Amino acid sequence: MKKWRLLVAVLAVFALVAAACSSDDDDDGAAPAPTAAPDTDDMTDDDMADVDDDMATDDDDMADDDMADGGDDDMADDDMAAAHSLCNDGANVGGTLIIGSTQVPRHLNGTVQSGYATAVPGTQLNASPLLYDDEYNPMPYLAESWEVADDGLSVTLHLVEDAVFHDGMPITSADVAFSVLTAQAHHPFKPMFAPVTGVDTPDEHTAVINLSQPHPAILLAMSPGLLPVIPKHIFDDGQELPTHPRNTEDFVGSGPFRLVEYEAGTIIRMERFDDFFIEGAPCLDEIVMQIIPDATNIVLGLENGEIDLSVTLGPSANILRLMDNENVTVNSDGHEAIGQIQWLEMNTDDPALSDKRVRQAIAYAIDRDFMIDALDQGLTIPATSGIVTASPFHDSTVNPYDRDVDRATALLAEAGYGPGELELTIDYIPPTQVIYAEYVVQALEDVGINVELSVSPDFPTWAGRIAGRDYQMTINNVWNWGDPVIGVHRTYLSDNIDKGIWTNNTGYSNAEVDRILAEAGQELDAGRRAALYGEFQQIVSDEVPIYYLTTPQFWQAYNPRVQNPPTNTIWGMMSPMHEVWLDQ
Amino acid sequence: MSDAAGLGDVAAADMGVTPGLGAGGGAGAARPGRETFRLFVRNKAAVVGVLMLAGVVFMTVAGPRLYDQDPKDIVARPLIGPGELTEARLGTDYLGRDVLAGVINGGATSLTVAAMAAAMVLVIGIGIGAVAGYYGGWTDSALMRFTEFFQVLPALLFAMVVVALFEPSMWTISFAIGVVAWPGIARITRAEFLRLKNLEFVRAARAVGATDWRIIRKVVFPNALPPLIVSATLIMGTAILFEAGLAFLGLGDPNTTSWGLMIGLNRGNFLTAWWSVTFPGLAIFFTVLSFSLIGDGLQDAYNPKLRGR
Repeated sequence: MKKWRLLVAVLAVFALVAAACSSDDDDDGAAPAPTAAPDTDDMTDDDMADVDDDMATDDDDMADDDMADGGDDDMADDDMAAAHSLCNDGANVGGTLIIGSTQVPRHLNGTVQSGYATAVPGTQLNASPLLYDDEYNPMPYLAESWEVADDGLSVTLHLVEDAVFHDGMPITSADVAFSVLTAQAHHPFKPMFAPVTGVDTPDEHTAVINLSQPHPAILLAMSPGLLPVIPKHIFDDGQELPTHPRNTEDFVGSGPFRLVEYEAGTIIRMERFDDFFIEGAPCLDEIVMQIIPDATNIVLGLENGEIDLSVTLGPSANILRLMDNENVTVNSDGHEAIGQIQWLEMNTDDPALSDKRVRQAIAYAIDRDFMIDALDQGLTIPATSGIVTASPFHDSTVNPYDRDVDRATALLAEAGYGPGELELTIDYIPPTQVIYAEYVVQALEDVGINVELSVSPDFPTWAGRIAGRDYQMTINNVWNWGDPVIGVHRTYLSDNIDKGIWTNNTGYSNAEVDRILAEAGQELDAGRRAALYGEFQQIVSDEVPIYYLTTPQFWQAYNPRVQNPPTNTIWGMMSPMHEVWLDQ
Repeated sequence: MSDAAGLGDVAAADMGVTPGLGAGGGAGAARPGRETFRLFVRNKAAVVGVLMLAGVVFMTVAGPRLYDQDPKDIVARPLIGPGELTEARLGTDYLGRDVLAGVINGGATSLTVAAMAAAMVLVIGIGIGAVAGYYGGWTDSALMRFTEFFQVLPALLFAMVVVALFEPSMWTISFAIGVVAWPGIARITRAEFLRLKNLEFVRAARAVGATDWRIIRKVVFPNALPPLIVSATLIMGTAILFEAGLAFLGLGDPNTTSWGLMIGLNRGNFLTAWWSVTFPGLAIFFTVLSFSLIGDGLQDAYNPKLRGR
């Protein structure tokens, strides 16, 4: 009898464990494959972000101009030389930099995984062909020089000769070719390497990337966060790259720091790599990333000096509080390329929302200024189109849909809805976006639309609903990623409908838009490209499948002893920190 | 007097209909109901608990009529401190909603969820406990293994799973709490039934031909009530905490206002806007404390060893 009881008890425990495990799998499965992780495309903890006045006024020359600039590495080389002496000066060497982050990376291999969570440690562990300065100019990194063919159909990279991986094996053109092809096959940003037809490796230090069409974003795709160079001799063993065990275990990278400790969701400890190919770098002995789920604790850690640097700071009030603290430096420099937009997305297949007038009425009902001024406490800037204001392709003449309750009511009446006759639901990325969804509920009540919040208990549930188009409206947060080809096209192309979260999840389909985007995607002339994107923004603004709310900024807070933080770039903390040092 | 004291009174009266709780009946043995009431009222902490609960119930029922402000409306700029605005005396939350209106209206959800959860706990717990305790044998073994299965589940985690599987709403949250909280009641009921079922008055009832159902209902159950009433009171408190815990973890229903949800949604601003979490927090604190004090008072009042003191 006793044995029998024991057996039942053991079985019950197994059943429970099995049930728990399988329900986990279901969750993941429901959310469409690799793009569904919170860290995948866009960091979901959108609160961290907010405004930089510079951004509105920045007159950046975009990547395309730089296509021609491939040869201007002399100047960049001087910069590098300056960096060497920086670390060689004894006082600047050593110390441990502690980074606090709420973001849990899925793994550390950035060739198959996008997103901030992977890119921050990933760019320390792996080097990329190019770096970028704060004006979108490419700078030498693993590639000491590069040329773009006149017809735009190939890019030649000349690699530095003495670079080695963390296991001592040389970094060669074969590794670059392998990384590009891996990213082409597995990275969620398909357009990034879609035109690549192959990579030639005429010698160990020359890689020629061949393209089927001119591709204005190709050099930007060589950025640290987008194309880490991974070792072919480790990863080319027949195993699937997205689930490769070496993505976290015995990690062998090409970057300035090497992995010494990795505990999922807790800590990532990285140590100086002594044989890094830039002489004298990195300055730091060690970078420790502590994963702290609650931003409040990160704020307290910054205040009492336990954390040196963080960008995941929680709601606006926390950022304002840190700004008042003399022992913490707060700014939003260096993230220009990310181009985050917070928006309200509408399912255009929904019977009510398929009517353009209803969508326009919703847009007119929302007070963007209130959201920025009151909810974000002035820390965000307005977004009026799918291309962020800071981009040279932004069209500032589009209709911003400033609040106009009368017009909204009139449009609804025209569409056949009197006050209280239209009922909708709104989704949001839990937990941080609830504030915007709650505001939209209130705003639409003013024009007689009843809106109920549709609650997702966790991120995968939300992602599954949106990607499966089981929604009417949702707040979303999508990034431009430097070039429209990478971050903008995916939301509007009709052949990219429902390919996972952060693809075309509105069901928006317009042949004219498809044509314009295809053309702009291979136009090398910046002026002509801007004209095409202007046309695109006008059409989308009129049809308003998406109402653009705000551009949150990446506020970073750091201890003043942190010198040379990655703010002189366009990618912020998704940049190698080999020149960061601590003023002890 | 309040509901809770009345409840105690009724229960004690029930207890009076059957003889022989055994052990040391004191001065008031003839009218145990009145004696219980006297003991309860003499317990100052318990009376304070009753008054607090009465205050919370009054606020929840009459509050929305006396203070007519929709807790979801944006009334002013967000995160303004208490005392600075006449339209939001306890300050505004992150969206600019009135914290006072939230506290007043949030009680209804919290108390309703707690009551529904407690009712579910009692029905499942007493049902399973009574059958297991009364019949014994393999029925008991089977039901107790079933109970243990739920008992060893980490309660909050399991409740989270239940809520996450369905949409967070008042019903699913009550259901989730009910499903995880009943094993305690089942075990208490079973213990009481095991103790009582072989006592003479139960045998007597069986001897005169009463059916099992009648014996369980009319003879054993009323005598098992005192500890159950105490537990039920405490479960109300636990359920409120559970609801708050789930909401705090983001598993509340933001379409309704509840204290736990206010804390959960506002906790990101805790460092800068203490009022948006402190006032709903105090409301939960006083409500749970009142249930706890009442529970303690009832326990002492029912304890025969303390009688006649």
